[in-house]
Amino acid sequence: MADEDETKEYRWESGYEKTWEAIKEDDDGLLESNVADLVARAKRKRAALKDTGAIQLGMMRHLFVVVDASACMFLQDLKPTRFLCVLKLLEVFVHEFFDLNPISQLGILTTKMKRSEQITVLAGNQKKHIEALQQLKDLSCEGEPSLQNSLERAMNGLKNMPAYSSREILVLFGSLTTCDPGDIQKTIKSLKDNNIRVSIIGLAAEVRICQEIAKKTGGTYNVLIDDHHLKELILNQVQPPAVAGSMEASLVKMGFPGASPIVNDGTSDSSADHAPAYCLCHIESETSSLMGPNGYNCPQCGSRYCELPVECKQCGLTLVSAPHLARSYHHLFPIKPFIERAQVRETTHCFACAKLFVEAETNVYECENCNQIVCLDCDLFIRETLHTCPGCASDPVTAQMKTN
Amino acid sequence: MEDKEERIETSLVAIVIDATPAKKFASQPLDGSSMMNRIFDSLIAFGNAHLMQASHNKLAIIACNSKSTKFLYPSMDGTSRSYHNRPGQYDMFAKVDSDVRHGLGELILNDMTDNDSTKSDSLLGGAMARALSYIHRVQRELSLSHQLKPRVLVVSGSCDSALQYMTFMNVFFTAQKENVVIDCCMMDTDSGLLQQGCDITGGQYLHIPSVAGLLEYLLWVFLPSPSCRSKIVLPPPTKVDYRAACFCHHKLVDIGWVCSVCLSIFCKFSIMCTTCNTEFKLNRPAIVPAKSKKRARIE
Repeated sequence: MADEDETKEYRWESGYEKTWEAIKEDDDGLLESNVADLVARAKRKRAALKDTGAIQLGMMRHLFVVVDASACMFLQDLKPTRFLCVLKLLEVFVHEFFDLNPISQLGILTTKMKRSEQITVLAGNQKKHIEALQQLKDLSCEGEPSLQNSLERAMNGLKNMPAYSSREILVLFGSLTTCDPGDIQKTIKSLKDNNIRVSIIGLAAEVRICQEIAKKTGGTYNVLIDDHHLKELILNQVQPPAVAGSMEASLVKMGFPGASPIVNDGTSDSSADHAPAYCLCHIESETSSLMGPNGYNCPQCGSRYCELPVECKQCGLTLVSAPHLARSYHHLFPIKPFIERAQVRETTHCFACAKLFVEAETNVYECENCNQIVCLDCDLFIRETLHTCPGCASDPVTAQMKTN
Repeated sequence: MEDKEERIETSLVAIVIDATPAKKFASQPLDGSSMMNRIFDSLIAFGNAHLMQASHNKLAIIACNSKSTKFLYPSMDGTSRSYHNRPGQYDMFAKVDSDVRHGLGELILNDMTDNDSTKSDSLLGGAMARALSYIHRVQRELSLSHQLKPRVLVVSGSCDSALQYMTFMNVFFTAQKENVVIDCCMMDTDSGLLQQGCDITGGQYLHIPSVAGLLEYLLWVFLPSPSCRSKIVLPPPTKVDYRAACFCHHKLVDIGWVCSVCLSIFCKFSIMCTTCNTEFKLNRPAIVPAKSKKRARIE
């Protein structure tokens, strides 16, 4: 498309693309298997491209999402309207983001009427963001967006974040114009000085200033083709990005509260950890109730919280549990892509799912370390979800991983 | 009146059994047959009981020891053996029985070639990963009129293997994402990792006091599906220790220092991370230079 480098031709310059020739019927005259095959192959190609090897990833992310709420977002080229489609996809994005980056924080801004407004502050609580997004559905989109105002506001929020975190802004821009109070080049310069990476997803057409902002700050700029592509572009932002180069590393102090669930075996635990207490996360709301012995106590100041991860309001310590950190460990030990082979006579079944290999033309995939053969679906499953090769885990030599 | 059709619920139980032979209870003879034999009899009975609940129910059994993991049922052998089913016995029960015994025999024979299998840990993580891949495949292959309710039952007697931490955590997070419940029945020792897994996925963890009663515990506690467990009074959840272990001494810490690059945990502040070799900036407070005191001019 036009947003790739300028040396390629534009779409209207190349000849007719005969897309119907790509699909062929199989022997029974059915198209299903062929379509599924093409989809799986495309998925695999994309998954293989993502394997970038051992590079440093920004795990602790502070991300601001800027949603365009100007008049052009009421257009119905994405159903039901651009704005509602984007909000729905953002809910999925928030869920996946906290799933994959549990110790990161997210904030939401909108821009309309030549100004920008903050919907949620930078926080690590998933529910608050999703609730805010649901309330945004009633917002009326009017006026013109202001790219500079929203970037400045996001920058103000990100400036005070610690240096070891990865600072990012994601802009969902649907308009072709922007109304700025000053020189946007100055904003771009200060974004660069503060190490903030801006990625923009265009909903209409390619806009040159967006391309420039993304290029200068080290982010990406993409324009969507249809709503499936939009979902893919948004979900691409969930993966931790490579470090921009001058990120400082430091040791962050974190607390690991041991959980205190109800213990019914009659022996009473006399420590104050199990006494009922008000939790600090709900203490300001009217509906806060006395928490039972469930909950987590901050090891530094003893305040009680219902859920992790959270930043302790009293002493400022970040509280996480070990599985939260473990969720990000698989980025540190990526699996090498499997080698594609034509079917081998000796192995009749896929190692991972025990499926019988039926046709002779399907390709099978082999792991370099353990030499076990898996089928295409298991390859995608291992790559996208499991992040562990079952063959390597079932071999006593390779199972003892270096887990440092 | 319901407009949409009810989907048939198919419950799939994948039993992961740790068949490491070098466990003290496994070799104790009891009533003439060894404990190991009794454990597998109980498991086959449990598997058949699950299949008996509904005709659509599915079963998978995977065994592991310190050398390898193996699908006992459905068997991966190409050859179809003849099943000696007793008159009136459901064919599938005989198939399960025959496949499990045959597969187990092969698994143990594989292990006999090397004598120091007592030192290395059981490959439970690999077996659970294969179970999840099998569940994923069944989910894909099932027609739309069926709704799959999968769960994994881990029966084990081995302690935690710290070196397989990554595999276990990946398996638990995948299970949570795919809505698979992981239950655990521990026979000899407690396992902190499996406790965490049961807590993350919402499953049941039970430490059995006596192995002779394994079948009773399996049938009473683990046979009901997760949807009806709320109506039954089950053993209470155990206290799960979610504290992390520091990478330098492997002791549990309450407050630790986390490297921002590789997320490894240390108990003390140090200048360099031992895992990723990054140097850390020391956050010292800015030293304000002392203002030179101007002498008050006495005029």
